[in-house]
This record gives sequence, structure tokens and C-alpha cells, in this order.
Amino acid sequence: MSGPETVDRVLMTAAVVFVVVAGALLLFRISRGPSMLDRAIALDVFAAVVIAGLGAKSAFARDPFYFPIMLVLAFLGFTGSVGIARFIAVRDKPLPRRKPAGKEESK
Amino acid sequence: MNVWLQITDTAGAVLVFLGAAICLLGVVGMVKLPDVLSRSHAATKPQTLGLLLVLAGVALRLRSGMDLATLVLIGFFQLMTSPVAAHLVARSAYRTGQVERGELLFDDLDAQLSEPRREPGPAREPDTGPERD
Repeated sequence: MSGPETVDRVLMTAAVVFVVVAGALLLFRISRGPSMLDRAIALDVFAAVVIAGLGAKSAFARDPFYFPIMLVLAFLGFTGSVGIARFIAVRDKPLPRRKPAGKEESK
Repeated sequence: MNVWLQITDTAGAVLVFLGAAICLLGVVGMVKLPDVLSRSHAATKPQTLGLLLVLAGVALRLRSGMDLATLVLIGFFQLMTSPVAAHLVARSAYRTGQVERGELLFDDLDAQLSEPRREPGPAREPDTGPERD
């Protein structure tokens, strides 16, 4: 009886550690993304990683307390990256990676 | 009967572990890949698959009707909203010129966007259609 539960605890502890490491790597990417669009993508993935971490916590404790928070994050987590891609990245000039040949088109 | 419940618990734990591992792999791809489009490629699919695996693991461990409905709703909203964000980010990346056009194998958006630019040659006379500017 104690053996499989130990396996469960080890697996879910490893899952929580993976999620925390993924969040740390995402913070690294957010801090030095070259453009705002990288930060937008990283923000979107960060919402999903937070949902996965809350899911791992809920599976660890068998507790459905954080399910509304996961639902709201899944429902509204994309609005930040959509706002960045729609309104901020247009006026953001990180570095010209190609020649400005197509700059004659109007915005 | 208790054996089957234990098997379900362990399967849920294994699914949570696999989902977290896939999330971590996607994030490693996001850190190491060089471009906006490849980062978006590394971001969206492991994120969605890993999240769905984690939610399936939670559903296998909780086994209640209301919690199952909430988890299905979470997965549904994630599947609905993740392509919207990825599409808008990729569109904005293309339009603000952060895409290496020489490295693309297929560029169908170029013919859609740069048609009134008329730089390669007079394929069609430029003053028939209403220009945008």
C-alpha cells in the first residue's frame, strides 16, 4: 500500500520541480527577449505553465480549490499577448533584421 | 477494487509527470531557438499537449463529476484561446519585419501583402486597383 503511493508522490514532486524550472527559464526569456513579441509568446506560455503547476498541486493534494483560478487563467491568459501583439509590437523597433524594402506599405 | 483505484492514481501521477516534462521541453525550446516564429512553434504545441496531459492526470486522480467538467472546460478554453494568441503574434511578427524572409521555404503571405509594392517588374499595371495609400 505504501509503495505505489510513494511512487505517486515522487512523480508529482518531480512534476512540480519541472514546472518551477520551466517558469524560471520563462522568466529568463521574458527578461532578455529581443523583441516584445518574444515576451508576448513567453507570457502566453507562462500562463499555461501556471495552469500546469496549479494542476500538479491539485493532483498532489486531491483538492479542487484552485480550479476556478485555472479556468480564469485559461480563459483570459491570452489577452496580454494579444494586446502586446496588437498594439505594442507595432511601434517597437528592436533591430532591423532584414532590409527595409517593404517599408512603403502604409500601416 | 482498491487495486484499480490505486492503478488509476498511479496513471494520473504518470500523466501529470509526462505533462510537466513536455511543458519543460517546450520551454527549453523557447529559450534555445533563435527566431520569433520558431519560438512560437516551440511554445504553442508542447504547451497545449503538456497542459492537456496534466489536466487528464488531475481528472484521473480526482474522479469527481464536477471537477471533471471544470477540467474539460479548462482544456476547451486553452484549445480555443491558444491559436488566437499564436496567430496574432506571428502576424504581427511578419508585419513588423522580424521574420527572415530568405529562410522561409514557403511564403504565401508575401504574395498577399506585397502585391501593391510592384518592385520586381510590371506584372500588372499598377493603377487599376485602388491603392491603399
